[in-house]
Amino acid sequence: MSVSDLKHSLRKYEFPACAKEALNRIEQLLVGRAAPSNKQLDIAMDIISEFVFCESDRRSGRRSGGLTPLQDLQLIDIICDYLSACTNETTKNTIFLSLFGGMESQRRLKILSILASMAVSASSTPVLLAVGVWLQQMGCSSSQSLQLVENVIRDHFYLNTSNQLALKSLANTAPQFVSNFITAVTELYMHDAQGTNDNKLPPKNLLEVITAWVYSNPTLCMSAQLNPAALPSGSIPMAAVTPLAGLIHWCALAPLYIVDDDTEMVEVPVPFKKIKLEGESDRSLIKTVTSKPLTESEFYIKLHLGVLHSLRAGRRTHGPPTAVNAQHLAALAPVVQSYAHNVLKRGGKIQNDHKLQDCLDRIGQSVQVALANGCVYGNISNLLAALDTLPENRLLRIIIKTHQQTI
Amino acid sequence: MMNPQSKSTALSVDLNNFIYGVSRRNAQNAPELTRTGLNLLKNFPAARDAVLEYFAMVFHDAVTVSISQTDYEADLAANGALESVSIIGPELCNLGQSWAPFIAPWCISLIMDIATKKANIPNTTLQSADPVRILLDITTQNLTLLNSEERAKCIDMMLGSWACSWAVGWVGRAEPALVAPRALQLGADAARAVLAHLAHHPPATHHVRVAVLDLFHEALREDSKPEKKRDVIPYLLNLASKSDIVLKALTQDIEQTLTDEVMERLCSLCASQRSSASWADTSAGALVALLLRADVRCLLLLLRHALSNLFCRQLLEYLLQKLEFECLFHDKNIPLLTSAAEEINIVRDKLLDGNQLEKYSLARILILVSYNLPSEFVSTISYLLQYSRDDSTLALLVRIISGTITMHVPNDSPDISMDTERYQNFVKTGVEYALRDAMLSDTEIKMCFLDGSVPKDQKTYLHHFCLNIIKLLRWENSNRVPHLRTRPIGRAVEANLYRIGGALQEYTSLMRIRKEGTMAYLDEMPTCHALAEVLDRVDMTGTKAPPPSVEVILKVVQATVKYFFRCLHLKETMEKLRGVATACRLLRKLCVQSKLARAAALRELLESAMFRDDAAFGSRPIQPAHYDHHPHNDLLIHLNQKHGPITQLTQSHTSVFHAGIIGKGVRKPNASDSNDIPPILTTNNELLMGALTSCMVSDGNSGLVEGATSVSLLLVELVSPDVMYNGLPWPDEDFTKQVSIERELYMRGALESCAVARAALRRAAAARPALCLASALLRATAATLLHRLRAYLDRHTQSAEMAKERAALTELLSTMTLGQLLPHPLSHMLELAPELTASEIVQVLRDCLWNYTRDHVPSPALFTCDSTGLHWRDPSTCKPPATYTDTLRLIIQKRISKLGHLYPIMFLNLEKEN
Repeated sequence: MSVSDLKHSLRKYEFPACAKEALNRIEQLLVGRAAPSNKQLDIAMDIISEFVFCESDRRSGRRSGGLTPLQDLQLIDIICDYLSACTNETTKNTIFLSLFGGMESQRRLKILSILASMAVSASSTPVLLAVGVWLQQMGCSSSQSLQLVENVIRDHFYLNTSNQLALKSLANTAPQFVSNFITAVTELYMHDAQGTNDNKLPPKNLLEVITAWVYSNPTLCMSAQLNPAALPSGSIPMAAVTPLAGLIHWCALAPLYIVDDDTEMVEVPVPFKKIKLEGESDRSLIKTVTSKPLTESEFYIKLHLGVLHSLRAGRRTHGPPTAVNAQHLAALAPVVQSYAHNVLKRGGKIQNDHKLQDCLDRIGQSVQVALANGCVYGNISNLLAALDTLPENRLLRIIIKTHQQTI
Repeated sequence: MMNPQSKSTALSVDLNNFIYGVSRRNAQNAPELTRTGLNLLKNFPAARDAVLEYFAMVFHDAVTVSISQTDYEADLAANGALESVSIIGPELCNLGQSWAPFIAPWCISLIMDIATKKANIPNTTLQSADPVRILLDITTQNLTLLNSEERAKCIDMMLGSWACSWAVGWVGRAEPALVAPRALQLGADAARAVLAHLAHHPPATHHVRVAVLDLFHEALREDSKPEKKRDVIPYLLNLASKSDIVLKALTQDIEQTLTDEVMERLCSLCASQRSSASWADTSAGALVALLLRADVRCLLLLLRHALSNLFCRQLLEYLLQKLEFECLFHDKNIPLLTSAAEEINIVRDKLLDGNQLEKYSLARILILVSYNLPSEFVSTISYLLQYSRDDSTLALLVRIISGTITMHVPNDSPDISMDTERYQNFVKTGVEYALRDAMLSDTEIKMCFLDGSVPKDQKTYLHHFCLNIIKLLRWENSNRVPHLRTRPIGRAVEANLYRIGGALQEYTSLMRIRKEGTMAYLDEMPTCHALAEVLDRVDMTGTKAPPPSVEVILKVVQATVKYFFRCLHLKETMEKLRGVATACRLLRKLCVQSKLARAAALRELLESAMFRDDAAFGSRPIQPAHYDHHPHNDLLIHLNQKHGPITQLTQSHTSVFHAGIIGKGVRKPNASDSNDIPPILTTNNELLMGALTSCMVSDGNSGLVEGATSVSLLLVELVSPDVMYNGLPWPDEDFTKQVSIERELYMRGALESCAVARAALRRAAAARPALCLASALLRATAATLLHRLRAYLDRHTQSAEMAKERAALTELLSTMTLGQLLPHPLSHMLELAPELTASEIVQVLRDCLWNYTRDHVPSPALFTCDSTGLHWRDPSTCKPPATYTDTLRLIIQKRISKLGHLYPIMFLNLEKEN
């Protein structure tokens, strides 16, 4: 069938139907025994642009302004239907990546964000898995990924705060997505290498959910690596980055950033803005589930434990370690140093500053577990050298000594 | 990993229902879809754009429905769109803070959409439509949840649309501080609309003001971008011309806004920019139109600068002319004048202490205010009368009065006189209020008394008021001031005579309450003089106006008499004389027309002189009964008992006469100090007589006679209040011995100790036949003289008592002679008396005086009235018969060596005639 015939046949349909039909045609074009030719790819892109997203319209100029939000929704529904109905993982990922793989279109990214968010709402596993693959292929720290993650966070941790239970179960149904999601989230919060005070902390409910995920599922962090994505033939799989390094950052830095002194403050200043009654009732709902609500720092302690467990699970029986990048861990050093510098400047003593000691302890524990389990890749001696520049801490001193000898 | 859900519900049933419901939406499924949409919002936040888009459609439908169907309410409830809207409203209001950034912009663009689409519908209809109300509520609610930056963005969004200024105004009520300054960035018309809507909400006005002032000060600030700000001031003025709120914001507390520095800067700015095109609209005419709507403080500010600034001066003149022109149309309501009326106190204060230009301009304003508001006319008159301290201010008052009256066009109604009298009545009320307030002010505690900074010549408020009135009356009476030709002040004062009289009475009263620290504590005499002068300057005779009523006359008479007596007590001679003269003039003026006034005045004068102010005339108290402090404790009766059996045996009156005076104990041989007859010829006595005479003045003699007659009657009444025996006839001499001697003694004593009464009696004697009516007094003196002299016989010829009796005799004789009660030759007893012995005197008194008068009753009938109106007794017709003169003749013959020179005078001529 020629391109013009194909288009002609599609033009018989009105908008929602044409998108549905177009998806089937694309599947026929792209999925086969061999990799599709460049021409086929071009045709597929053309059809996607014209009939799925209605970006370019060569017909009557009827729909020049793109889709309305309602139409967006219809389209999303169709895509969801298609993805859910897709039985072949490779086919699904192929189509998904062709739809949203392009880096250029902000509109498509927006639709993707909505799609992802709705999939989270509906706990739609096939879609979430596809999104997980997309995240991995785009790179979890790419701007597109971050934008998508931000959208999801806003929708599910700010706007709709009543679906925590459903969210917690995602770790079981779509672990690859969750793993990549956490990796991206760690890029969003407490990631300022300068270590300045305006580093933002994750909202408490996000922290709670992530803690629950990591704590209850030690293999979760490795799941993206353990289950390689089913990619279309001929494509280059991107290495999955585990969230472990980012979470170690969080747990280590949390004592420095959380501003609750010895007084046990229930209300911790977090970006979560509590104003209205609905939010209140939501919180009480959570309370009934987790009998006694934990404070933010307690969550970090729990998360730290979860991370340590995950590190243990990250040991690979064969092949090089892939879980944690040494350089990534070494990046902690300047942040802690600048904090220590501030303490000294204020006239405090490093040995007496329990926040700093807490932080150093956690770094030491994480590094020790990671090294002991052989999860660290990259330049380990550099890491040890960086740790050596940190303020005095007994545990850390022992660990550095031990490992410097083994190298 | 297969999805258990069926194909059509991959995400959720709700979502599917919603998507396909919307594509087939109609009026029936709207509420259903709305609920689904709300569920989606909660569970699928990502679907919000679509849901909100659908809600927007619902709102559009609902607005259309509610506008077209406002007539029958019942149907509205049934309408799906309206029902949906009422579901949406509370939900969207309560979504909370994290949703606000999505909801607020959506609301605003929806409002703008609706407003644009329904631009042909009147704003009020649109605003009152239920869906719009709900939408505005949602907007307001969500705007308050936003942080300031987002909020500002939303408001900017809304201000961008020309069609929804009303919505801005409405929503802006929640955020006036954000809306107001932004509205000012718009064109004048749009800004006006927004601010007008905003101003429905009182708390917002403050923010409008702040915004306007900020803009203004920004425009004035000196920096490098004058070009950019060139249009700001014309813009503000233009805006103010269209919007009351802006005008009010600009002009409120204008003194603080336009300080001198600001003015200076503004002037230089104007000078440099006036030529530019944007300033073309700021003509003087436009400014005047603005000022007409501004409040009076602006005018005051203008006045302040007018003296130094030519433009202000021109503007002022232009404004005044415009005002005067506008006032010709009576039904026009000019805010400037209303404000002037409200703040009239400031205006009046300025009128007192301003410079010449300010004073004259404010007088013109006050004329207009007074013309529109008679109550302000009255209060202005009252104020200026109280507080004016110089001629120029009084001149302004004259100007205001005449200006207001001349502005008035009398309408040609049946009671045209009432119409013209109206303003005169206002002036009258003004004077009344001024008087009342001045008296009240005098009783208030003033600061200057507390800190001891009272100037030496501090005058009471009433005094100032009087001085002002006097000055006005002087101008009026000079007939040189055309404005005062109708005598407005004089007539007003005349209408207030009762009150002025009352004031004089109050201030002359010795019982007046004089609280410390008030003006009332000052010496009241200057005030009294001024009040008297006011009374002196008005016409009370009734020649130019209807004569005053009885009450008024009585009040003024009483006050004047009081004033007279206060003046008598003054130390300073000139002041005293001047005061007395004023009082006399007043009395004359009052009495010349009114008999009532005369009677009242005479009675008041005499009564006061005899009983209340007797000390001033050297009189002693009439009542001799001072039992409590007589010098000795020994009573006369005990002393008499010591004399032996004679006094005990007889009941004769001699027992009394021998030893002393009952109640005073033994007579002192030379008790000249207390028993002297007070002299008649004292200054005060003369002044009082002058006052009495002033009361009697009339054309010709009749007034004098009438007056003197009343004086006689009054004297009798006052000296001897009982009616019996006060008649004209003289009874038998024996009768007095038996019956009335005690009474006669009392009357004699009373008369003798009272110089005033004696002096008055003499005056009465001079005004024949008035003395006749006082015959009871003469009789009393004569009777007591007879008895006492008889008792003395010759034993005490040289004693003080005897001298006193002789003096009394002389006075009696001279008075009766003067009154022509003793015709020739009996009249010569006066010359004879000093030479006679006591027994001779007794004889003469009995035979010649008593018997003659007994037989010839002293009555006015004896006196004839001649052509000149003088009453007199013709000596030729009333020669006493020989029986009454023989005693005299015999005595003279017996003592011819000494008294011979009188014989021819007394008897020869008599015989010659015979």
